[in-house]
Amino acid sequence: MSAATMIMRTLIPAAVGAIALLQPAWAEPAAEVRVTYSNGQFQPGVVSAPVDKPVVIHVRNLDAKALEFESTSLRVEKVVAAQSEVIVNVRALKPGRYEFYDDFNDKARGALVVE
Amino acid sequence: MLCGAGATRAEDASSWREIETKYIFGFTTGSGIGLEGEKEFTVDSVGRFGKRDGHYAATETKYEFEFTPSQFVQIEFGALGSTHNIGGMTDLDGRNQAAFAGGFAEFRYLAVERTSNNPLSVTLAIEPTVRLIDETSGVRVRNYEFETTVNADFELLKNRLYAGLNLLYEPEATRTATDGTLREAKFGGSAALAVRLAPNFLLGGEVWYLRHYDSPTLSDFTGDAVMAGPTLYVQFTRKMFMTAAWNAQVWGREVGNSSPLNLSEFQRHRARLKFAYEF
Repeated sequence: MSAATMIMRTLIPAAVGAIALLQPAWAEPAAEVRVTYSNGQFQPGVVSAPVDKPVVIHVRNLDAKALEFESTSLRVEKVVAAQSEVIVNVRALKPGRYEFYDDFNDKARGALVVE
Repeated sequence: MLCGAGATRAEDASSWREIETKYIFGFTTGSGIGLEGEKEFTVDSVGRFGKRDGHYAATETKYEFEFTPSQFVQIEFGALGSTHNIGGMTDLDGRNQAAFAGGFAEFRYLAVERTSNNPLSVTLAIEPTVRLIDETSGVRVRNYEFETTVNADFELLKNRLYAGLNLLYEPEATRTATDGTLREAKFGGSAALAVRLAPNFLLGGEVWYLRHYDSPTLSDFTGDAVMAGPTLYVQFTRKMFMTAAWNAQVWGREVGNSSPLNLSEFQRHRARLKFAYEF
């Protein structure tokens, strides 16, 4: 067996296994959270969600320009066009404070508190 | 840039955005895997300079596309280019060449995630690489490498101070036209610190301890070395950054050779320069 074949035979099951590990988290019912963006600010500034449950964040942009909903700790980013709404799916979370922001506007900050 | 760093020194770091840690430690890789849906193109060059005698300079550049398909997995792949400028050496033929050198892929899985209550984050990574040009000599070969790493980092001070730890196991097999198949492995680890002086500017330092074996099972030890040096990370814009690092060999030994440093398997200096654009 060539080294390339050996690498592929090891690699593909490992990648499939890693992705399969994610599935149970998404199978649980999700908690829903709603955030509105207007006048360059998130409202409310702090939202909460339960521990160990996937979270669906509805981000509604009331402003006349697009925003990019982004969070390093939540590991998500999504552009929300002017006067529209998007859904951001987040994995089941451990207790803690997860900050988010508009990547186009440094002053627009918010946080998801999981407890 | 330094003026900017000074102006922001008085700022409260708790108001800074959280930072992606993957590239802030130089040769040491942080645990970050990016944001779900994020894509990035990077040019990542590593240069190796100085052997026992003569003139030695070799570079390998990764032209890399990376993306994050889920909140736990990151995938990267790309092509390799290399240059070799070698002359007057006892053990290596002189050459001056630039070549397409092969390809690679990397799979990263976030095993332990950082939260506001847990400063530790750990990612497991595997990186199979196929090379057509030998990294050290520049000779045409068929080389298969399977790098396996554990990338851990700690946020020691919120948004300010980070520590990185890597564990490396890198077996490889090289088929040459004259010597048949050679099998070898590298094993080692690193420790790094990075301090965030401004929201977009980090300085740090790292130390690597590396061991070389003429066997993938780590049974035929041939030598080891310690490399150390400074690191730099600069975020130019929201979507563009660079990282730079330089390591010098500060200690090394070769089995059967009493000369200072290990310059058979390692080099006197290595440097890394990486530019990335996210989209």
